[in-house]
Amino acid sequence: MPGKTDKILEQVEQSRVWRSIFRSGRGTSTLHNALAIQQSVFLHLFSTKVRKRMLSVSSTWYLGTLTLGTFFILIVTGVLLMLYYHPSVPQAYADMKDLQFVVSSGLFLRNLHRWSAQAMVFLVFAHMFKVFYRGAYRAPREFNWVVGVVLLLITLLLSYTGYLLPWDQLAYWAITVGSNISAAVPLVGSKIHFLLLGGNQVDANALLRFYVLHCLILPLAALLFVAVHFWRIRKDGGLYVHQSEPKKAGVVDETELVKEVQ
Amino acid sequence: MKSVKQLISSVWRALFGDTMRAFAIVSVILMLTLAIAPAKDHFSQWHRYQNGYLSMISDRGDAISLRRRFEPGIQQIWHPEIGVVDRCETCHEGLKEASLADVTTQPFRKHPVIPHPLDRYGCTICHRGQGPATTVEEAHDSKLAGVDPILPARYIESGCGQCHQNALTGTPQLNLGRQYLAQYGCVNCHMVKTPDGTVMKATDNPPSLEHIADKTTRDWIFTWLKNPQAYAASATMPNYKLSDADASDLSAFLISSSKPQAGDVDATIIPAAKNADPSAGASLYGESFCATCHAVQNAAGNLVGGDVGPELTRVGNKVKPAWLQAWIENPRVYDEHTLMPHYRFTPQQVAMLTGYLMSKSDSDYSTDAHLGTATPAQIAHGRKLVVELGCAACHTINGVKKPDNFAPDLSQIGSKPLAQLIFLPGMKQTLPTYIASKIKDPGSFGPAMKMPQVPVTDAQREALTTALLSLSDRSQTMPDKLRIAGFHQTTYEPAGHAGKLMADLACMSCHRINGHGSDMAPDLSYEGSAVQAQWLDSFLKNPNTLRPALTRRMPRFNLSDADRKTLTDYIMVAYQSPAIDPDKAPPAVNPPALVEQGRQLFYSKYACQSCHTANTNTDKGYIGPVLAQVGTRLQPAWIYAWLKNPQALRPGTIEPNQNISDEDARAMTAFLMTLKSAGKQEGKQ
Repeated sequence: MPGKTDKILEQVEQSRVWRSIFRSGRGTSTLHNALAIQQSVFLHLFSTKVRKRMLSVSSTWYLGTLTLGTFFILIVTGVLLMLYYHPSVPQAYADMKDLQFVVSSGLFLRNLHRWSAQAMVFLVFAHMFKVFYRGAYRAPREFNWVVGVVLLLITLLLSYTGYLLPWDQLAYWAITVGSNISAAVPLVGSKIHFLLLGGNQVDANALLRFYVLHCLILPLAALLFVAVHFWRIRKDGGLYVHQSEPKKAGVVDETELVKEVQ
Repeated sequence: MKSVKQLISSVWRALFGDTMRAFAIVSVILMLTLAIAPAKDHFSQWHRYQNGYLSMISDRGDAISLRRRFEPGIQQIWHPEIGVVDRCETCHEGLKEASLADVTTQPFRKHPVIPHPLDRYGCTICHRGQGPATTVEEAHDSKLAGVDPILPARYIESGCGQCHQNALTGTPQLNLGRQYLAQYGCVNCHMVKTPDGTVMKATDNPPSLEHIADKTTRDWIFTWLKNPQAYAASATMPNYKLSDADASDLSAFLISSSKPQAGDVDATIIPAAKNADPSAGASLYGESFCATCHAVQNAAGNLVGGDVGPELTRVGNKVKPAWLQAWIENPRVYDEHTLMPHYRFTPQQVAMLTGYLMSKSDSDYSTDAHLGTATPAQIAHGRKLVVELGCAACHTINGVKKPDNFAPDLSQIGSKPLAQLIFLPGMKQTLPTYIASKIKDPGSFGPAMKMPQVPVTDAQREALTTALLSLSDRSQTMPDKLRIAGFHQTTYEPAGHAGKLMADLACMSCHRINGHGSDMAPDLSYEGSAVQAQWLDSFLKNPNTLRPALTRRMPRFNLSDADRKTLTDYIMVAYQSPAIDPDKAPPAVNPPALVEQGRQLFYSKYACQSCHTANTNTDKGYIGPVLAQVGTRLQPAWIYAWLKNPQALRPGTIEPNQNISDEDARAMTAFLMTLKSAGKQEGKQ
């Protein structure tokens, strides 16, 4: 049976359609594997080769990957939530009630979104601490550290803009306080405040503005910077190797191709 | 320790040692986790209640029809224009099932009959609670800010008051509460703007204190301030619980700020006042219908009389005889705007009444405070107290301005967020409890609280709470088409000589004319179309009762012939109904055949004698006015129009509209116009 399956698979992989999509072709040679990574629009951001020990838990604690995972959960649940949500006053709050009380698994969906958001903020910080204390921000990775800081800000802004959307008392006052902080900026504070809220107080315009920021502008910005972030991992020499660890005598760093990076 | 570590690592290896197995285990855990949400949906509370409802109705005789009307799933009443999304019927399935009247277990009880269809406005508009919720805890008792818990049933009438600004027969508690807000002077200090945009006005008529020294003594003021209810059980003035020193200083200031009013102090007491026959005074008090407005406590301690004017049980302890005499002679000298009519008593009558009223004193009620002369320091402190306590919010006081917004605005108190309230320890944290406790004992909320304890009973407090709860945010944002306006006094005042006379007689203290005045006595807006001038003149000269079932009567004012003519002429000309064409009036005198036909219609076809009395010897109807002399009282045009459609002439009258034909109405008018003198029936000519 396995032989038959392999045969069918082989046939499929050699078909014109398959070849037109996956250009690397069939094979297990280093070249084939390298091409498989390099020629996929999604995978080519990553290194074609990584050191095996960099994939162990202790080297990164997978914090970056976990952050990406929560980000994907947030995109999926967020899109589903958008199906039930109107960014208008006072319907926004009524939609929360509908999600809570009448939408099947609506509360689960909403809670999943919320908890993932909390987890993402936590993981971003943990990731940064790990990078910082391992010294992974040093040359040649300074720029990627800066990209990471931008991603931190985007994550926090996503968290903040999402806070207003339930349109309950907590949301209203949190955003009132937060936007008033922005008004304290010297000279241009009141302009920033007005720009942020689309008015002088938290109302329908602010809700719409925060909705667009939360669901469109900030996620797109995040995706863009995540792409740059990953691209730079590859360009800066792959995942960071802890230089202070003593090398085993006579053993050259064993390199191996990985098919699955995630 | 080591063995635990070994155990854990061996379990870990057993579960996740192999990549495929680890993947399978993680997948199973993920599947189970994802199954929790739909499972929670399926085993939700409302599912259980719907199943409970189904099993309950399955034992009943009409199970099949009940089950046919049962709709599974979330049920909702949705009215976006009033912000109603009520899912209460998801659990309360049997609300509309008339056959479930005997079911007592909630949530399956039938809703009591109310004037609106249940679906028309939803549930939360009256009951409060969180409409969109589908769990008991969240729906009834949510802890969320801005969500009210279920309103206790005893305040349910507040729901009606959100739309109905008028008094409904079905909401006695709400009507009383609104009345008390005005009657106890709450709205003197608190602003209450009703949803139809009018500001509620007080009806407690707090006396002006500009000339208080003419009327009474400093000792009495002191005793009154210490406890108003000890003087008059019905006093609406709250007890401010003043210390002796404060009450003394206040009385000192009030006396010193008083300016004498010409006519009060210089009146010489008519000697007869002192030795007048008390029983004659008592009968004059009765004849003049003083008790219509003033109450007196009887021996059993019950108040007898009306509540328009002040209680007179101990008036002899209070007023100075010279002032009382001047007041009875013409109250408008002391207080231009008093509701009391100027009676035009003879000097002898004034003396008798003064003597009678001065004898109404209580030897147990001592006003002997021995305060002596006031020092400037006392007066200054008294003035400070007057300003602090807000006395001028109710009373007119020389030299003290009426404070603006002395107390918080209550226009939206019915939706005040709980976060803005300060509860006492141990108090149930709901808005109705807060309002009721605040009225009951404002002092318990802190020594700085200026609000006095208003002298209301428990039932009155519940009524006040109901009325305040009806002042909700929702009542303000209600669409205009749902709002039923309340009655609002117009600013109508009659003019000219007759107008002056009517103001002097305070006609509007009892009668309403063109939307202005009280509803104690008949509305006189169309009186000129209704009655005959001669009858009106004789009625003003010597009023008698028209309705045997009523005890109140029009007082006799001792009007001069000229005054009566002025009044009669004015009423006959000015107060005409637009519904009656005086040029098309049926004749006052008719052929006997028509009269006889009318008599038969009156007695047999329409059976008017069941409520009215046309022949005082035979008829026993007492609900409507006696008609034995109607031919001398009413105009034929009015009788005819009244028979055709009574409600068009006087909205709300209990006389039924019997759709009487033109011919029948003409015949009965002819008959009624023959009823001219008391006791004798001229119809049978």
